[in-house]
Amino acid sequence: MRVLIVDDSSVMRKIVARGLRQAGFKITDILEAGDGQQGMDLLKTDTNFKLILSDWNMPIMDGLNFVKSVRSGPPAIKNIPIVMVTTEGGETKVGAAMEAGANGHIKKPFTPETLQVELERFLK
Amino acid sequence: MSGSDTVELMHKLLTGLRLAVTEMMTSMAMSEVVFAGQESADSFTLTNEVVGLVRLDGQLHGMVGVSCSQALLREIVSRIVGLSPDELTMEDLLDGAAELANMVCGGMKTKAQIGSVNLSPPVAIVGQEYTAQWKTNHPTTVFTFQMDEGVLMVHASL
Repeated sequence: MRVLIVDDSSVMRKIVARGLRQAGFKITDILEAGDGQQGMDLLKTDTNFKLILSDWNMPIMDGLNFVKSVRSGPPAIKNIPIVMVTTEGGETKVGAAMEAGANGHIKKPFTPETLQVELERFLK
Repeated sequence: MSGSDTVELMHKLLTGLRLAVTEMMTSMAMSEVVFAGQESADSFTLTNEVVGLVRLDGQLHGMVGVSCSQALLREIVSRIVGLSPDELTMEDLLDGAAELANMVCGGMKTKAQIGSVNLSPPVAIVGQEYTAQWKTNHPTTVFTFQMDEGVLMVHASL
């Protein structure tokens, strides 16, 4: 089971990766991208992901535009579940992400338990 | 928004901020943290080696900063990401300072149950021998938290 983490913070990518492992999911590979554009570039050649976890505020291509790009992308990627991991918990922003095609939202800070509960439906 | 509404909002955010720091350090950094007091300062002045800053706007404008020594930041980040302090790069430290401020402010908003305050992308400063001062409209509340490895300070001008 492979997961893609899209976040401009290297520390946050490590935190999310560690949280996924601590939550007990059987993940074989965790790939990382530093912004939405890097994520899209990666998805051009590698489409085998069970889940994408994406930040909201990123340079070059933010999380919202990343979600829109994936959802309007080729069939191999357009249905990959995307969960936003962000401090932006406002209803407007979460609503915009969901409307664009995100499948869930996790607020930072989070615990491995939170990840387990929120991501179980995608990673079981 | 009336004056009393503003005061209530500030109170909620400051209470949320204090709770968010304790919860984050306990749950994510697995660190014992003890609230060691608070004081009010006329200006938003930072002198510690490490700072993470986030601006607030929307229903209320202001700034929140988290500051500590570089050694304490290394310890906190290493615990959060599960690497030894020696393995952390300067990029990790800068990202760590920024994310610390980001998560503390995110936690503050959640605790205060306020959606009408927006957070800016965080700014990180890691260095020595500097004094940074911001002109703010209101006094700064400085919370001090004692950890085993040093002191963490959280500055809020709301």
